[in-house]
Amino acid sequence: MRFRFNALAIALVMVSSMLLAACGGAAAPAAEPTAAAEPAAEATAVPAEEPAAEAPAATDAVTIRYGLWDGNQQPAYEACAAEFTKTNPNIIVKVEQAGWGDYWTSVQTGMVGGTAPDVFTNHLAKYPEFASKEQLVDIQPFVERDGVDLAQYLPGLGDLWGRDGKRYGLPKDWDTVAVVFNKDMLDKAGVTVEELNNADWNASNGGSFGQIIKKLTIDEAGNNALDAGFDKSKVVQYGFVGGGSGGAYGQTQWSHWAVSNGFKFNDGLYATKYFYDDPKLAETIQWYANLNLVEGVAPTLADVRSLGATALFTSGKAAMTTDGSWMIGSYVNDAKFVTGFARLPKGPDGRKSMFNGLADSIWVGSKHQEESWQWMKFAASPACANIVGSYGVVFPAIQSGVDAALKAYGDRKVDVSAFTAQATEANGTFLFPVTDFASEIGPIMDATMDSIMLGEKPAADALKAANDEVNALFQ
Amino acid sequence: MTIRTGTRTAQRNELLWALLFIVPSMIGFIVFFAMPSVRGLLMSFTNWDLLRPAKFTGLANYIKLLSDKEFRHALRVTAYYVVLNIPLQTVIALGMAVMLDRFTKSTFIRGILILPWLLPNIIVALLWLWMLDPTLGFINQIIMSLGFERQPFLGSVTQAMPTIAGINIWRHAGYTAILLFAGLQNIPKDVYEAAAIDGADERQMFMGITLPLLRPVLIFVLVTSLIGSFQIFDTIVITTKGGPVDATRVVYWYIYEYAFVRFKMGYAATISVALFLILITITVIQMRYFNADTSDLD
Amino acid sequence: MTTRTQTKPGFSTQQIFAWIFLTLVIVVTLFPVWWVVRTGFSSKQEIYVDTFNLLPVGPTLNNFKRVLGMFSSEEAVAQGGTASGMDFWMNLKNSLMVSTTTILGQTFFSAMAAYSFARLKFRFREQIFFLYLTAMMIPGVVTLVPNYILMARELEWMNTYQGIIAPSFLMTPFSVFFLRQFFLSINHELEEAAKLDGASIPLIFMQVILPLSVPALSTLAILQFLGNWNDYLWPFLIGKAENMRTLTVGLAVFQSQTPQGSPDWGGLMAGTTLSLIPTILIFLVFGRRAVNAIQFTGFR
Repeated sequence: MRFRFNALAIALVMVSSMLLAACGGAAAPAAEPTAAAEPAAEATAVPAEEPAAEAPAATDAVTIRYGLWDGNQQPAYEACAAEFTKTNPNIIVKVEQAGWGDYWTSVQTGMVGGTAPDVFTNHLAKYPEFASKEQLVDIQPFVERDGVDLAQYLPGLGDLWGRDGKRYGLPKDWDTVAVVFNKDMLDKAGVTVEELNNADWNASNGGSFGQIIKKLTIDEAGNNALDAGFDKSKVVQYGFVGGGSGGAYGQTQWSHWAVSNGFKFNDGLYATKYFYDDPKLAETIQWYANLNLVEGVAPTLADVRSLGATALFTSGKAAMTTDGSWMIGSYVNDAKFVTGFARLPKGPDGRKSMFNGLADSIWVGSKHQEESWQWMKFAASPACANIVGSYGVVFPAIQSGVDAALKAYGDRKVDVSAFTAQATEANGTFLFPVTDFASEIGPIMDATMDSIMLGEKPAADALKAANDEVNALFQ
Repeated sequence: MTIRTGTRTAQRNELLWALLFIVPSMIGFIVFFAMPSVRGLLMSFTNWDLLRPAKFTGLANYIKLLSDKEFRHALRVTAYYVVLNIPLQTVIALGMAVMLDRFTKSTFIRGILILPWLLPNIIVALLWLWMLDPTLGFINQIIMSLGFERQPFLGSVTQAMPTIAGINIWRHAGYTAILLFAGLQNIPKDVYEAAAIDGADERQMFMGITLPLLRPVLIFVLVTSLIGSFQIFDTIVITTKGGPVDATRVVYWYIYEYAFVRFKMGYAATISVALFLILITITVIQMRYFNADTSDLD
Repeated sequence: MTTRTQTKPGFSTQQIFAWIFLTLVIVVTLFPVWWVVRTGFSSKQEIYVDTFNLLPVGPTLNNFKRVLGMFSSEEAVAQGGTASGMDFWMNLKNSLMVSTTTILGQTFFSAMAAYSFARLKFRFREQIFFLYLTAMMIPGVVTLVPNYILMARELEWMNTYQGIIAPSFLMTPFSVFFLRQFFLSINHELEEAAKLDGASIPLIFMQVILPLSVPALSTLAILQFLGNWNDYLWPFLIGKAENMRTLTVGLAVFQSQTPQGSPDWGGLMAGTTLSLIPTILIFLVFGRRAVNAIQFTGFR
């Protein structure tokens, strides 16, 4: 009896597995032609993701999937989405969030597999690639049809998202860079915030900002880096920590130093030639690297590479760093001491911060492009900007939204004027260098900047070689 | 005569059952391994950028690969990792397995040893990134309290790869030990008893009994961990991202970079084909060398 | 008698050495795991303040509460920017469902194949087996996209259990290889005896081979189960919808809700600690079976 039962069981399992496999096998070829004819065969996937209970009674409601990576902004955009649905009851926006790395993996595989979100938050380093590969809807016709006023956005932001008369996004927000400081350490060294705000900088000796860095660097014996007895091998508190080598753009690491020294990345949007061999960049990078290599007032690249400059700063190992406005919340929440934000020092060419901004894009595979456009237009409108601003996590691209954000930060007693003043100052910003081949320039510049920061190569030589390599991509 | 027809039907019977036994796994193999691999192979002859229809480019990718210095660098770095990782991991794991077998069969201790493997890869990498941090990490605190200089570990061109090998040994040694331990369970205990009566000591028993009888499992462990370590990726994504200065830019990272960062799936597939061929060669050599298809028990 | 007196002294020094080695291994193994737990109980603002303290700094249960979604999202944001917790019980259910089904299928079907490769004689046996092995050597980056297309477009199994389970349900080369190596080392005699009694091949497989291989089967099943438990990229790509997320996916989504910059160590480690508990329990319960089973087979 037992024997027979087991033999029967085996036969059952085998038959059922073969049936299962046969179904799978049959389904695959059958589905192929439809998939080929209609690239976005995600029809079944969408309802599966949408719990039925969430959908209101309207039977003809269209669901727009909206992707973003910053979890801090999710509540803000969910509030926007709710507001949007009030006036557009037949469009439901479902916000989907994933962290930076996973976000791009899923957007890319989604484009291949037909499951990418209808509207997704896009980045300047990424969008030219998607645009050139025909994955983004050109929204210029929509913009003209609906008469969207591009002048409502902070100057320059709108231009970043257009190319050759086509347009791939409407700006939602922006960010700038400022100096982040540990107020307790400043007080102890007798450095005032005003002094810091008025500091100047140059690439040969660091200017008065360089002096402040030295003053804030303290060794075991209690000497600061200006004292004769200072021992740079026994530093207990660094005056400054840079956010690593910064790769191709050095957005929060070195771009502000370099540009305020007169450096230009390239000739503007979609340039085909980079100027990484500019001696002004070389001297800036060398200064930046020498903070550690020669002066010992900043930690080594190895120290920064692991947990990052933010960790070193919040652990009280360094007095100052430079970072972007999207990190304000982290600094304020994570540090046990009082953190403040100061203006970037004035370089030979003035104060300069990279001006970066995000925008939404519509995926070409979206089945609801009109509805997607409606949502995108709303997300980039004053109404949504005011909502997002009121959450105080990011600066919206529209002035009234910025005011709302300033109020929100003010309520939390956080002074963020260093970022906003930089953004509104005449010639205070330069744009993110949007070009083709971003994904190939990245690895080249990563390795180059690393080798300079580690003291393996002098900046001038390394940058010249890298520049040749980068420009060869455009040939 | 009857005997001969008997064996013939037995043989036919055996073939029939063998086929039936293989069918389910064969379906899984074809649908989820073979078909995608063939698609991958086809991709390697195209310029597919993931998003637009691919164009057939013939051998262009392969010709590019032959003169690709970065690829050769990636191979070198990977080989360095494998050399650092495999011998040490196998020896440690074997040591652990033998001790478990000879001195304690406690499930609890085995539970402890498998713990690192129970943590997701990403968590392991993050955890060690922190513990090895030059200024905020616990390990450097210990090193300094012993009177040594603090070490940069993952941030150093020379130390990054050995450190990653160390992290992965930490994660996999216990797991490998459990596999080997299971193999040790298959060795009849009376063999040891007989040897003990003959006056053999632990070392002699290990060399004379354990190692030879463990061979099928040991081969399995070596082959799979070698293949696995050629595909080292997760730890690197979190800890070094290929740096500093390309010191940890292993082949798998290079493939990933081409596929998902540079959108050059065609070339990524070509590199994969090359890696695949290398792995096949190594595995064939391993299996031949260890004579993997037999057992010394026979 | 003489043998006993000869081996005993040597044995004990070896034993001491062995225990020192084992203790060292256990300490090295456990310390980082303790660090996970310690950090899970530490408060966010103090994570970097006292990094050399072996005990939780600013001990708190807030991280666990956040993971389990016991705070409203405003409270959670105020505590350090994580919008919402993970749906721990839902994720746990999905992980159990996915891993259990996968392993049941995989172990059984792989054992069938492995038995054929180890014991039955047929043409091209070694070649087919080697073909299976090659599947381990194909870089996953390349098969990922075709497999994804298969799931998303051809089978339309996005956000379904079968979509997550299918690729490793019928076999993994690892399992087939592992079991084949074990079946190779099983003594032929019992099989021959069964054959003489007129037992058919499936009968021998079910009644002789499988019972004899319980340690190997259960070791494999446990290890593959736990490996499956930690799978991330595939379940993430296929089962992103909230009701399909496994524990690792849930944990990653939870983690990714903090902005760029330093990770949310407290929340991450609390989540890891929680997801570690079921795996440890499973190992302890079934791992014991795997060892005890040896005594019942009567083979050794």
